[in-house]
Amino acid sequence: MSADIELELWRQQWHEEDSIPADLRRTVERQSRRMKIGLAGDTVVTVVMGGGTTTWALLSRDSGIALVALATWLFLAIAWACALTVNWGLWRPVTVDAASFVDLSIGRCRAALKAVWLAGILFVAEIAFGLSWAYLHSAIQTGIRKWLLFGSLRVDIVWACTAAFFGGLVWYRSRKRRELIRLLNLRDEIVLNVDKDTQQEPNVPPEWMFGIRRLKRLRPKKRIT
Amino acid sequence: MDRTGLKEQFERILAEHGPALSRLAASYTNTLSDRDDLLQETAFAIWQALPRFRGECSERTFAFRIAHNRAISHLTRNSAHKTDPLEEVEVGDSTPGPELYYSQRQTAEKLRKAVRALPLAYRQVIMLTLEGLGYREISSVLGISESNVGARLTRARQLLQEALEKRK
Repeated sequence: MSADIELELWRQQWHEEDSIPADLRRTVERQSRRMKIGLAGDTVVTVVMGGGTTTWALLSRDSGIALVALATWLFLAIAWACALTVNWGLWRPVTVDAASFVDLSIGRCRAALKAVWLAGILFVAEIAFGLSWAYLHSAIQTGIRKWLLFGSLRVDIVWACTAAFFGGLVWYRSRKRRELIRLLNLRDEIVLNVDKDTQQEPNVPPEWMFGIRRLKRLRPKKRIT
Repeated sequence: MDRTGLKEQFERILAEHGPALSRLAASYTNTLSDRDDLLQETAFAIWQALPRFRGECSERTFAFRIAHNRAISHLTRNSAHKTDPLEEVEVGDSTPGPELYYSQRQTAEKLRKAVRALPLAYRQVIMLTLEGLGYREISSVLGISESNVGARLTRARQLLQEALEKRK
């Protein structure tokens, strides 16, 4: 190889070495934007729902409405605690390299899958409370079973919304599971590349091995949740 | 030049040469946080020096000279500096897709590690050459003669070839 061609090749490699796949970078940036929008949305919901029910309770001076306001704040607090816990440490990559970006995407996928369960449980709790409260505070004399099963249009709407919510949740969960599998495979590729590379080096640092073992532990065997 | 003009010039220098300055900082440091610190110091030094810049050399030479001086100060401050080629320092940019990236990554990493393992005098010259600077610009950045640049570059290339051969 002539000297100039060699130098040009090195130059190309020198400028390539620091790159992160463009689509991976875009995905992570898009997710970060959505997380920020989600946070702003949660804040608006907190102010509107919490503030609204509190104002309603203060104006009506009704103990039943005060209970609704209290329950709303309780549900909001649980939702915030879950959201902050699940998303902890997922706002930015640890380092600016491809592996960190993939790790971050995997972390966000796992967080989304956890959030699906939490959202489902919280939704059931809210619906149970809401329907119980509505039944106890209504003048309807029919039995609860009859009331719940097509007793009124409002209850029917609640069930329709519940079905739509859980349908959406199932769809979202399956999408995130597929995304997680794809990211884990991508992560495996990086680890294998590193593994192959370090096999030729006499001084393999133990950190790499710990990293690989940790990644293998993180890889789900049967269930992906 | 007024402050707005200086600001525009500063932003243009960083936009044009930011990735190269980042690579340069990465070649002098061992950790990501050190690289970021050095990059920040360099940007600050460029901002401070910009009012005195009269266009005697290109903006690239000006930016690289400051970056080089800051890097030397950084190395002097961190006297315990040791080149550990196995420690990872990455800087950001963008490429078409992951497949291409992974196939090229190993070769590029070997080159980067080999460059970082070179003695400082040779590392500086080869690094600036890889960044596309000519003999005259390198001599201006490093404050050495052009013939010295040529001699160092020849030796640096030999060392780099040997190092890359060993890593094959």
